[in-house]
Amino acid sequence: MKIYLALLRSETAIMIRDKLTIFFTFLFPIIFIFIFGFLMGDIDQPTARLGFVDETSASAPFPIDILEASGVAEVVDVADRQALETSVRDRNADFGLIWDGRALEFLYNPSAVQENYAYQQIAAGITDAFNLRAQNLKAILPIEKVHVGTEASTRWFNQMVPGIIAFSILSSGLFAVSGHLTAMKQRRTLDRLLVTPMPPVSLLAAVATVRLVIVYASTLITLLASIAIFDLAFSIDWFEYTILVVSSTLGMMGLGTIIALVVRRPSSAGNVANVLAMVMMFLSGIYFPIELMPRFLRDFSLVLPLRHLADGMRYVTGVSDMSPLHFWMIILVLLAAALVLFPVLARYVVRPERS
Amino acid sequence: MIDILHVAKNHLLIALRERVTLFWFLIFPVFLLVLLTLVFGQIGQEGAISFEISFVNLDREPSAWVSGMIESVFDELGTPDAEGKEPLFRIHKPEARQSDEAFLELETLALRRGRRAAVIVIPEGFTGEVQGRFVPIDESEGAPASDQTALLIYHSEGNAASGMAVEIIDQILAGIDREILVQGGQFDPAAAIPGVTTWIGSEEGGATYVDFLLPGIILMGLFTNGLFGVPGSILFSRDQRVLRRYWVTPLTVPRFLAGMAIGHVALSLLQFAILYVIGRFALGATVSFASLAAVLFLLLATATFMAFGFLIASVSKTANTGMAIANILNMPMMFLSGLFFPIAGLPAFIRAIVYVNPVSYLAAGLRAAVGIEASPFSLWLVVGIPLAWIALAAGVAARRLRWDVSR
Repeated sequence: MKIYLALLRSETAIMIRDKLTIFFTFLFPIIFIFIFGFLMGDIDQPTARLGFVDETSASAPFPIDILEASGVAEVVDVADRQALETSVRDRNADFGLIWDGRALEFLYNPSAVQENYAYQQIAAGITDAFNLRAQNLKAILPIEKVHVGTEASTRWFNQMVPGIIAFSILSSGLFAVSGHLTAMKQRRTLDRLLVTPMPPVSLLAAVATVRLVIVYASTLITLLASIAIFDLAFSIDWFEYTILVVSSTLGMMGLGTIIALVVRRPSSAGNVANVLAMVMMFLSGIYFPIELMPRFLRDFSLVLPLRHLADGMRYVTGVSDMSPLHFWMIILVLLAAALVLFPVLARYVVRPERS
Repeated sequence: MIDILHVAKNHLLIALRERVTLFWFLIFPVFLLVLLTLVFGQIGQEGAISFEISFVNLDREPSAWVSGMIESVFDELGTPDAEGKEPLFRIHKPEARQSDEAFLELETLALRRGRRAAVIVIPEGFTGEVQGRFVPIDESEGAPASDQTALLIYHSEGNAASGMAVEIIDQILAGIDREILVQGGQFDPAAAIPGVTTWIGSEEGGATYVDFLLPGIILMGLFTNGLFGVPGSILFSRDQRVLRRYWVTPLTVPRFLAGMAIGHVALSLLQFAILYVIGRFALGATVSFASLAAVLFLLLATATFMAFGFLIASVSKTANTGMAIANILNMPMMFLSGLFFPIAGLPAFIRAIVYVNPVSYLAAGLRAAVGIEASPFSLWLVVGIPLAWIALAAGVAARRLRWDVSR
């Protein structure tokens, strides 16, 4: 216990002095939240601005109310076609509509390749609504939409924040072994520690404890920042949240062990961990919805631990649902990875470097 | 001249021998290009995406023709075509012995858990309700729509697939709505006002997603190459005392720099060629870089990012610090530049970052030069801001960059 406490003190001091790790653990997720919050925070809110030109006489005015009902957030009145083209080209309006009494002409900016699909859907809705109104009719099929998720699951950005937290846990856990321990090996500090009576498991316990505290604090700060800056709502089950953060940090440290074992050069282990984390990040539905991926990539994502970690984090923060069995299976697998791989770590990674 | 070429060759070979360098400079941009094209390049295209939806028709009277019509339309959309392409919907219906209530409970749970994109329920008496609405708008004012007999679409708002599925279902139901009105003699299709699509400055809908993405990914590749490659090369060589060995040879710093620049340009050229070939021949990009303006912008981008690399090397005491600074700058500079996401709607203080970020101008300039979109910035800014960064970086590097650990 004495040895563990001494190591805990030294590991804490190392962590506090390591400004870079502190930056990447605490500030980097917040930078991500900040950037993506402003870039994509309102991606699923009605933000379409329609530039509108009415070329008819005032005797046949366009029923403006149907524009709003069809999903247009703002109607910008424009003088003529040329001004409308300029407005859409310069993105002062997202798309345009010219009503000349004979046809509804929708103008799109060809370079808005990411958004045009949504604008075309809105345009189709406007055309339908206009034609019904023109013939003195209204939609005959009564339709009601019912959202079945929680209040917190109504925005994509709510789903993204737990994903970013999951990625931060993955990186921190992976780098605890493949970065920190292999760096100790490289600097020969591990060799010096190992000639003392210190059992390797005490060192691992100290490293894991410091990581757990840091990761837990970092996830809380990230959550609080997202709530404070972007007014996001979460419904957090703190017990399951804590269990998930602890087991996933330990599980990811276990995965870091595999990297440290497979990659012989200690200096390369951090690089490999970095590459794997980045690839997983893009394939696990962190920055764009997994449902938009082709089926083979969706199937592939099932073997990625980050996918399940992100799903679990969304579940404990109340933004998506999951069967309790599924959640506890994730916890079980993460803890099993830690339990199986930690002895391996103690035996093969925390040992003197052969020269 | 030979010594310069030797330095260039060494710079290139060292970069190509390093697996990590190869990953970040060559494999990662290709991975991102392919992935983003696969994900975003097919939105809205038929056969590109298939939605799991559940369908329950509780309006089973023989006379329930409206419900039957809706069900048959969805059945048709759930059938694979002759070429075996995935249908638009994979439709789940109650099993023969399963009660509707039990099925609905299971399916709404599946929707909440992301395994379904939507659940459609046609309630009992739906056809009767629809038939009762066959009256012109002014006569039906005030007639209450019965909530009990509305067609229900269960969905999950934060789920992207659910959102897209509901948009498509809306369009399908609008089409059916129109057909019913036509069959009922209420809507005159001949008198319908057409919706016409016009693409500004183009007749065919303009650039595809991969055309939009390719210049951005190429710039991203050049950016990471300059941001990480240049300081990495200088700082690691300096820290490992490799550089000081150069200085005991007749090689001078300017000649070393010239060699390094040639090696860097060669690596950038290789990067460009690989991305272009994959974008063009594997992903179907049609964008062309064969214009003087495009080539000049690519060169300006390479020079700007290389200068950025020198700037980082100048302010970093060690290689690790240099890599950390590059890492910190990398993501914000890339994402706050319009390379991947539109930046028009950003708040003013974030836009300030966009406006000092040289990547914003280079991205806008390159896309304009290859004819993808008009630049929102004037030519003076598009060229001037990157040149200003080059001048700043050169000035700082001239004053601060140390070429040896001991100096």
